[in-house]
Amino acid sequence: MNKLWVEVGWKSINHVGEQLCGDHVEMAKYGRHSMVMVLADGLGSGVKASILSTLTSKIIATMIAQGMKLEDCVATIMDTLPVCSERGVAYSTFTILNIIENHTLEIIQYDNPPVIILRNNQPYRYLRTQIEVRGKQIMHTVISLMEGDCIIAMSDGCPHAGIGLSYNFGWKIEDIENFMSVQCTCGYNAKTLASMLIDECNKAYSYKPGDDATGCVIKMRKRASVNLLFGPPRDQNDSQRMMSLFFAKEGKHIISGGTTSSIAAKYLGKPVRVSLANPSGEIPPIAEIEGVDLVTEGVITINKVIEYARDFLNENALYEEWTCRDDGASRICRMLFEEATDINLYVGRAMNPAHQNPNLPITFNIKMNLAEELEKCLTAMGKQVQINYF
Amino acid sequence: MNVTICIGSSCHIKGSRRIVDTLQKLIEENNLEEQVELSGSFCMGRCVEGVCVTVDGQFFSVSPETVNAFFKENVLDKL
Repeated sequence: MNKLWVEVGWKSINHVGEQLCGDHVEMAKYGRHSMVMVLADGLGSGVKASILSTLTSKIIATMIAQGMKLEDCVATIMDTLPVCSERGVAYSTFTILNIIENHTLEIIQYDNPPVIILRNNQPYRYLRTQIEVRGKQIMHTVISLMEGDCIIAMSDGCPHAGIGLSYNFGWKIEDIENFMSVQCTCGYNAKTLASMLIDECNKAYSYKPGDDATGCVIKMRKRASVNLLFGPPRDQNDSQRMMSLFFAKEGKHIISGGTTSSIAAKYLGKPVRVSLANPSGEIPPIAEIEGVDLVTEGVITINKVIEYARDFLNENALYEEWTCRDDGASRICRMLFEEATDINLYVGRAMNPAHQNPNLPITFNIKMNLAEELEKCLTAMGKQVQINYF
Repeated sequence: MNVTICIGSSCHIKGSRRIVDTLQKLIEENNLEEQVELSGSFCMGRCVEGVCVTVDGQFFSVSPETVNAFFKENVLDKL
């Protein structure tokens, strides 16, 4: 095992007027630190394309994760795909990214645009070997991975973006490389990077995509932990124990909640300095305690974080808000979604008498639901999450 | 003189943001920046009575509707 962490994210847009996407991304983990990711682009668009690409990616991902040989996987695809009645072919192009034990990347490319690898934020030229499987020419590559490597796979909807509209001949691969190498320097999450690529394609298509377009990003990161303290313990006598466990953890520390931050301040022997500057009227201001990386208000802020997390897992339409804004919720989002790979949640179960007022939109149950919901969202993002109740 | 406003969850929902805005405006209008210091606090432990405000340690319960009267009575007249 090494200190590397594989962060994965993808986003698709559909051909204008289609409800289904003809591209499909499938991911499967196997072993302790290995995973395979398949991006398939079915012939045409709509339901046929969707079935072809879903079958292709699912079959390949499952077979590779079970340790089958590449040739067998490709042969299976060629033999089993249903044949299109109009065109008389069974066809789905695909890109396979197989990460073995967090340090080796095997790339298999069949007719999709070339996979882009950015190393030290520069396009990295890698060797491609042509092999033949069942009469099909397939490109094969094996490289060793390094921290900071960014691997971008896409469907042909990306380089074709804006043909005849924004660009005469579409968005050239070199230009996509340059675009992504700028974005990659900023520490964005893989999902955000994929969204940026696809949003740019959508723009080039004037928001009427002439083809399904999918971007798939893998980022090799160093593991980093972030710890979040949320709410005072149910039994006041547990405060000391909760604080010492929380502050003993490696990594950054976030404290969320008014009472919670005063308990922490007392434990550290430092004052809470609350700022009145408020970049967003919706989210209460943040505070400072020496020795804590971020101090925010509790329920309202966390509620907003969960709203962003849900969006992140689906459309990822709000990343322009939380990646740039300065309020407490956006700051928590950046630390949890972008910086952290391992997250420890310390949740206190004390009841705040003020929150029991029926005129207020917060109740004890809501608070506990928030903690659980946050854990669920972060786990769905692929983070290693541990939750501790006090 | 120090005026501290609670901006914790409960007081935030009850309108502490509007109180901060109004007080900042009133202080500016009356040219009291030198004499009155505005600060924030996370939870004063009396959430039920919020929005919680203290003037040199003395506790007041203020709402966005009463903030103008509060400013006149407890800030302006006491300077």
